[in-house]
Amino acid sequence: MKQLLRLRGAAALPVGESAEAQRGRLKLNLRLKIGLTILAFFAIASFTLPFFTDVDPAQQGTYLKNLPISWKHPLGTNTQGQSIFWYLVFAVRNSLALGITVAICISFISTMVGLSAGYIGGWYERLVMLLIDSVITIPVLPILIILSALVRGKTSFFLVGLIIVCFGWAWGARTVRSLALSLREREFVNMARFSGANTFQIITREIFPYVYAYMVVNFINTILFAINTEAALAVLGLSKVEVPTLGSILFWALNYNALFIGQRTWVIAPIVASVLLFLGLFLTSTGYNDLFAARRGRA
Amino acid sequence: MTKAFRLPRVLFLLLTMLSIVACSVPPTTPQGQTPTEAPAQSGATEPTAAPAAADPAAAPAASGDGALTDVGTPRSETLIFQTFDRQTANPDLHNPLMGTYAVWRGFRELAWGYLWEMDTGTGQSYPELAADMPEVLNDEYTRFRVKLRPGIYWSDGVEFTADDVIFTLDTYFENKDKLTYWGVATITNYVKSYEKIDDYTFEVETVNPAYDFVTVLGVYTWGSALNIVPKHIFEKEADVAAFRNTNPVTLGPYVVKEFDPNGFWQLWERREDWERSAWGSQGEPKPKYVLYKDFGPEETRTLAFVENQYDVDTFMSPESIKAAVAQNSAISPYSPTMPYHDMNDACSYGVLMNQHRPPLDKAEVRWALALALDLQDVGINALSGEFKASPLPMVDTQILNPIYFAPLQGWLNDFALSDGYKPFNPNFGAELVGKLTEMGLPADQMPQGDEAIKNAFGVGWWKYDPAEAEKLLGSVGITKNADGIYTLPDGSVWELEFVIPGDWNKVMQRVGFSIADSWRKAGIQVNARQVDNAEFGTVQNTNSQLTTLLNWTNCIFSPNYLNAWRSIQPEFLLPVDSPDTITGNMYRWSNEKVFDLVKASYSMETTSPEFYEYGREIIKEFVTDMAYINLMNIPTTIPTNSTYWRNFPKADNPYAVPYSWWSSAKKILQNIEPTGAK
Amino acid sequence: MGLLQYIGQRLLTYVAVLFIGISITFFLPRLMPNDPIDGYIAQIQSRAGQTLTPEAAAEIRATLTELYGLEGSLFTQYLNYLRRVVFGFDFGPSFSAFPRPVSELIMLALPWTLGLLLTTTVISWLLGNLIGLLAGYYHNRRFATALEVLGVLIYPIPYYILALTLILLLAYTWKLFPLSTTIRPAPLSLAQIGSILYNSALPALTLVIAGFGWNILSMKSLSVATKEEPFVTFARLKGTSDRTRMFSYVFRNALLPQVTALALSLGTIFNGALLTEMLFSYPGLGLLMRTAVGNGDYNMLYGTITMTIFAVATAALVIDLIYPLFDPRIRYR
Repeated sequence: MKQLLRLRGAAALPVGESAEAQRGRLKLNLRLKIGLTILAFFAIASFTLPFFTDVDPAQQGTYLKNLPISWKHPLGTNTQGQSIFWYLVFAVRNSLALGITVAICISFISTMVGLSAGYIGGWYERLVMLLIDSVITIPVLPILIILSALVRGKTSFFLVGLIIVCFGWAWGARTVRSLALSLREREFVNMARFSGANTFQIITREIFPYVYAYMVVNFINTILFAINTEAALAVLGLSKVEVPTLGSILFWALNYNALFIGQRTWVIAPIVASVLLFLGLFLTSTGYNDLFAARRGRA
Repeated sequence: MTKAFRLPRVLFLLLTMLSIVACSVPPTTPQGQTPTEAPAQSGATEPTAAPAAADPAAAPAASGDGALTDVGTPRSETLIFQTFDRQTANPDLHNPLMGTYAVWRGFRELAWGYLWEMDTGTGQSYPELAADMPEVLNDEYTRFRVKLRPGIYWSDGVEFTADDVIFTLDTYFENKDKLTYWGVATITNYVKSYEKIDDYTFEVETVNPAYDFVTVLGVYTWGSALNIVPKHIFEKEADVAAFRNTNPVTLGPYVVKEFDPNGFWQLWERREDWERSAWGSQGEPKPKYVLYKDFGPEETRTLAFVENQYDVDTFMSPESIKAAVAQNSAISPYSPTMPYHDMNDACSYGVLMNQHRPPLDKAEVRWALALALDLQDVGINALSGEFKASPLPMVDTQILNPIYFAPLQGWLNDFALSDGYKPFNPNFGAELVGKLTEMGLPADQMPQGDEAIKNAFGVGWWKYDPAEAEKLLGSVGITKNADGIYTLPDGSVWELEFVIPGDWNKVMQRVGFSIADSWRKAGIQVNARQVDNAEFGTVQNTNSQLTTLLNWTNCIFSPNYLNAWRSIQPEFLLPVDSPDTITGNMYRWSNEKVFDLVKASYSMETTSPEFYEYGREIIKEFVTDMAYINLMNIPTTIPTNSTYWRNFPKADNPYAVPYSWWSSAKKILQNIEPTGAK
Repeated sequence: MGLLQYIGQRLLTYVAVLFIGISITFFLPRLMPNDPIDGYIAQIQSRAGQTLTPEAAAEIRATLTELYGLEGSLFTQYLNYLRRVVFGFDFGPSFSAFPRPVSELIMLALPWTLGLLLTTTVISWLLGNLIGLLAGYYHNRRFATALEVLGVLIYPIPYYILALTLILLLAYTWKLFPLSTTIRPAPLSLAQIGSILYNSALPALTLVIAGFGWNILSMKSLSVATKEEPFVTFARLKGTSDRTRMFSYVFRNALLPQVTALALSLGTIFNGALLTEMLFSYPGLGLLMRTAVGNGDYNMLYGTITMTIFAVATAALVIDLIYPLFDPRIRYR
């Protein structure tokens, strides 16, 4: 991988590239590498480890309460008698799964809607903007609270995700549309149009790459938005708190006032996990960002 | 190459810094559950040791500063309570005739006076505004004469007379469509007529024979239906329902000095003429100022409590109390031994079931639910073992135990289900003690001896026997499938919906999830659903919404069980999926024998042996049918901080029960002493 | 197409959005499976020690139904509601604070929300964008990475935990701020303002810290992207100074999406920072909304949600109208 990139880079850059540029390329490989490593670690660990235990981590009273860190309990046990380590593993898995699914849905919907609205314009744009504005202006939190009151306990965990999607796509769509509006008037777009490219080709080949940078960043944000919204809902008690997620660990830890009673592992473990997870996602996305920038040639 | 590793190095450094910061935070508490110092609060607690031994960082705290509280009063003269509710919706509404007034800001204890109060420690009513118990004028028990105590004055100097009582009753009847206080509807349906005899005497005639006259026109446990208002103030108002009555004229020894327009706190000041108040003549209330304040959610108020910023908390969770006790020796729970807290609340937790809805309409299924519930485990997981179990559908208190629990002990031991199985486990408490000791609780924290154990953890509870539960369920066609989940006779999985309170009642929330967990381990597919308090009420009162619910239906405090069971009559039963609100017979119970027993006890003297006997018979039916799975007394966790005030009621000093929102608050105010700490 | 036509159409959309929003607001809470009257009666039943007889309960129910305006079919209630809101901005009495009108309660909570959230949103936006600009513009330098890492570490920490940690550090370990707000009712003097500021400092600090992490990251990526633009390269070749390029070229352009984001987030502050208010006992709109949902207080919900809809719709309208001032490349269609 490294060789390939170096070759490509060598072909693109003039001879005698600055040390800085070289350093920059190494740094981006490293950034991407670290990010992908972290993500891979989390994904593999959280999706395969569950097969090694047949104890349901959400069951209470499986072990003695409040045990300290030991070989048997890598992160100790909490006040409900659960193993913090195993709970965390399942939590990361569920949160990741939810976050990725929701982010994919949201990104797809908002990009397509925003791009098409921004570029096509006319009646289509007006209708779409009406829809987007209606969804945006209705405040998320009270509606979420109301909807969760309807949904909570009655249906599956992924419906919580669906609700998040319903409210998450509008903002992104609006922003993408603004970007598309700006881009629409650029010279290269006109050129493409005069060259005979149809609308779809213009959207995907010309406009999309410019929007891509922002969209990738938005994608991580959305994953985190999804995970954090689910966590916020869980802290408020509005999600399915019996399903292990990063949010529900925090819900139970806060419910039992873990920081005060000295059960710090219970709170710190999920936070460290979240931070590392975000780090992984972030490094990956900015790594790719830099990679694409290098391909396009940098200033 | 060196620069390439900069990023991870920086990261590593930052992460370590973060963890160091996180770990260097407050003084550590020992892992596990042992409050090493839970000082016995006898009358002679040395005041000087307390503040010095307390948290060394206490000095510069805002209210521990030595001088003033946040509201400008001397800390040593102010008693500070954590409020019962967080933020009151109507901070300036001090009119007791409207249901949403700021009642939890201390009005019931400090401002109003009642004809008869109830001693929550003994369950006996005693006269407060009245001179004595009412005189019964006829054999049917419908006409009563009440004499008032002369020499009681409102806080503005006007004397309290029978005019005020008559005026209040008039106001109730004239405005019953506009006043939202619940007592208005009760009184207007209860009282037929009334008249003033002289300035200190009046007579009342009731609609039905009224054996509970004293607890309807006076206090029953917590509140009274009759809130007496000053005639000379209220008669000037054209519309009493719209009258805010802010900073009211009071009958009690305190007046409102200041309150937070945002609803988080209220400050009371003692009247100069407190001896002339409704209960001041019974003893001087010691604090010059009383402040009710909300110190935030538990995460922040535990910090404030350890900082000595307030004196009495309400419903702090057990683990937090232990941690607080370990950090500040001035803090103590009610008792130095398990279960640490007073268990004499008026109500008990239990599982309410919709007995119309199959398969819950079969007693075998209900019994199976009771036997599949490991209450010891639930108590340990949710409450760290700090609870008192009660197998009968009422609270196990020192008042009710001799009348209902002790006489039925033998019957419980011998009670058998239809297949001969004896479900009662009298060693519940001892087994619990064994489990707790195994978990690491030191022996000196445990009650010693059979008597003490039963006092602490209850007379017993049902056995945890999933095998017997399986047998019972099997007898009605519910069997386990290949995955070990119970399925109905038609092959579908038996889904049991269990509604529990949400964040608004954290203790019940935890207990509820633990119960669901327990049932699931036994193989029942439980769908635990937590709800907000409005929805909770709807689920409780509507057949179509109710399957099972964790609630507190059994609020029997005095031996008069009719207060909770009066409405167990057939006319209150509704169809299984009725969307209408149920107004009686919450248990949805259909039992001819009980209907007759209840009806017969309407016309009995509520302190007669015959009445008690009927009560015991009803209890036997409750158990046989398992009409309601009663779990435990409500654990009321009220820790106190003795930095500024001492002599709070404790297990070894039980001059009153520790509740700050009942009549016991009056006794508490009269008995505490300032420690002299500044 | 003329400017006036554009504005006219935009205003029409605005009205349409408001109407749709308000109507949805009406029906959604009615779908909730709770009945405020039932909730109230259940509360009384538990506290009144069961002395509430069934006849009394039925009477209370009738009284409250009438007083709360819950009689009549859903449709008649809807029409009444529309009429009251549109013509009088009157949301009726709050159920949980009966008989206090909802608008009064909202007006009381509004200054707190506005004061706290307006300032913190703007501050964290400014701070985050400036830092992000620096990090993006000098993205090859060491400190840029450090700033980025700062953003990365702060952003994913759940707000509640961040707030708790700050409380532990700043109000407990080092007693710089009070543990709970106590603001005494007093006329607006300098001392009173000082007291308000002192009590609001910690919630404001937590909000700023929680908010600017994301701004740093997004602004950084935006400015990196903008910096690659040919016009920026051209400016560099032209000989403009770093600072001019940074501010006049990169910042102005990268700011555009951020301005949209700011306008919309200003609109959403009416949600109230719910967790902030819960944790710090801050009397804002968020707490009002949460208790309204908890108690099934329809009128309060309508009031608060409608306020938010109104604010966000207006913010969006304003943005759409002045966006061309920022970006002259946009033509009206």
